[in-house]
Amino acid sequence: MENQTYNYAIVRSFVTWSIIWGLVAVLVGVIVSFQMVDPDLNFPPYLTFGRLRPIHTNAGIYGWGIGMIFATFLYMVQRLCKVPLWSDKLAKFQLWFFNATIIASAVTLLLGYTTSKEYHEMEWPIDVMVVILWVVFAINIIMTILKRKDEQMYISLWYMMAAIIAVAILYIVNAAAVPVSLFKSYSAYAGTNDANVEWWFGHNAVAMVLTAPFLAMFYYFLPKSTGVPIYSHRMSIIAFWSLIFMYLWTGAHHLLWTPVPDWIQTLAMGFSIMLIAPSWGSVFNGYLSMNGQWHQMRENYLVKFLILGITFYGLQTLQGPMQAIRTFSAFIHYTDWVPAHIHLGTMGWVSMICFASIYYLVPRIYGRELYSIPLANLHFWLILVGQLTWSISLWIAGVLQAGMWNAMNSDGSLTYTFMETMVEMYPYWWARAFGGMIYLAGLIVFIYNLYKTAKKGGAIAAQATVVEGRA
Amino acid sequence: MDLASIVYLGVTFGMFVIFVLIVIRTYSKKRKDEGEIAKYQMLDDD
Ligand code: HEM
Ligand code: HEM
Repeated sequence: MENQTYNYAIVRSFVTWSIIWGLVAVLVGVIVSFQMVDPDLNFPPYLTFGRLRPIHTNAGIYGWGIGMIFATFLYMVQRLCKVPLWSDKLAKFQLWFFNATIIASAVTLLLGYTTSKEYHEMEWPIDVMVVILWVVFAINIIMTILKRKDEQMYISLWYMMAAIIAVAILYIVNAAAVPVSLFKSYSAYAGTNDANVEWWFGHNAVAMVLTAPFLAMFYYFLPKSTGVPIYSHRMSIIAFWSLIFMYLWTGAHHLLWTPVPDWIQTLAMGFSIMLIAPSWGSVFNGYLSMNGQWHQMRENYLVKFLILGITFYGLQTLQGPMQAIRTFSAFIHYTDWVPAHIHLGTMGWVSMICFASIYYLVPRIYGRELYSIPLANLHFWLILVGQLTWSISLWIAGVLQAGMWNAMNSDGSLTYTFMETMVEMYPYWWARAFGGMIYLAGLIVFIYNLYKTAKKGGAIAAQATVVEGRA
Repeated sequence: MDLASIVYLGVTFGMFVIFVLIVIRTYSKKRKDEGEIAKYQMLDDD
């Protein structure tokens, strides 16, 4: 086999930085959970719930999620195309620019600068940084794909390309704004159009940031971990195209019962329900790939993370379409049911796949085996229990809250005041904070295991180069 | 229905037609091996 040098040093750096941002996200998540049960834990003006919450969401999605997307895409593209990265220099620039962007975002959010558009809070100078970052990344990945050795592209490459192209379009369209000063701009859209564009962006960010890239990872790391190919490549291609076509129309399910035209809401509802098919296409493909391999759930810790991850994805993509139905939405919208949905996806699906990917990458990027498999198993159980405690308590809270809001006396007046419904939430919010602590403990075990892996044995070469066939 | 909604639905329908063509192409008997080869190739490389 021909000699080939791959750039794994950059993958290692992205893994390290995304773990750092992931830790920040989870720590701040735990802090805001406690702020909700004890308002005295707010320290104005900087350390208040209002400022820390967007730091939590942005560190989670952009620091941890996108950081891992960068790490794994830069790895997978080299392996799947069987060629080194198009430009190592560009990748290095991307690493430092990524960290600069995340730090700039955190600082401006702490100082209170915000566009007030959820998941797009950062002001226009940071939008410019994000666009530069993404273009650099896109060029490197696309140019590497163009150099590939095998003509047929594996499904992960399809998802990677879709994510890269779609995120660029979504972000730029939603970022359109008129700057009035260095830290203030006004959206280019007005009224319901603004809301419609924001949620077209918002839900497609779910699709193209929190779904497609993680499906690319799942389809790559599952067969690599089990040693057997996925069940059906053609089925994965059909699921891919149907997912791409359907997601585009679903944004307005965030705006049910609002002044957005009715037919847009109905279309969003219809397409959201149809989304079960492509989502479960991938779930079934994953499960069927395990035919004859289920014993690996006991023997191979990587498989456990991946299969639980895709199971969370399956549950998430059943819960999501349900929430998109008008009548159901009328009941749960604005309640704690929705954060339970989100964290099933972020702490379950997204993070489980990230952890599995990192464990798979460890021997490749550190050049030695994982320090402790029992610790990896402990990590698995802690994050599973932490996540389930989080989501289950808030699902119950959401249904209770909705039931209380809707309860009426025989004369048509409301049975409960808003304050009474809030007071009822406390036990569930405590449970959420407790679940968060368990999850945080799991994350610390994971980081300790990686730290010991990195420290054990000799020093690591600055640029890890690997001979093909021995990676 | 106004013009905007007709265009919106028209694009949706157009995309559906493209999707059907992709399904037919992917599942054509002639392309069976070609469609599955990538899943084996991705395993060779490590
Ligand atoms: C078939 C797929 C899915 C559908 C149809 C769907 C549907 C929905 C709906 C209707 C809402 C709005 C709930 C409300 O405010 O009343 C929502 C919120 C959300 N979903 Fe999903 N979901 C899906 C999959 C996912 C996945 C895989 C993730 C990944 C983590 C995710 C993350 C989110 C987030 C972050 C929000 C919150 C948006 C906000 O801040 O208001 N969803 N989803
Ligand atoms: C121990 C782990 C975590 C804890 C304790 C936690 C806690 C919280 C809390 C308390 C909120 C505010 C909910 C509200 O406003 O009612 C929140 C929101 C959110 N978190 Fe987390 N979180 C954790 C992990 C994560 C991770 C890993 C991600 C992303 C990868 C994430 C993404 C989000 C998002 C997108 C929202 C906005 C939800 C919405 O709009 O309703 N979280 N989290």
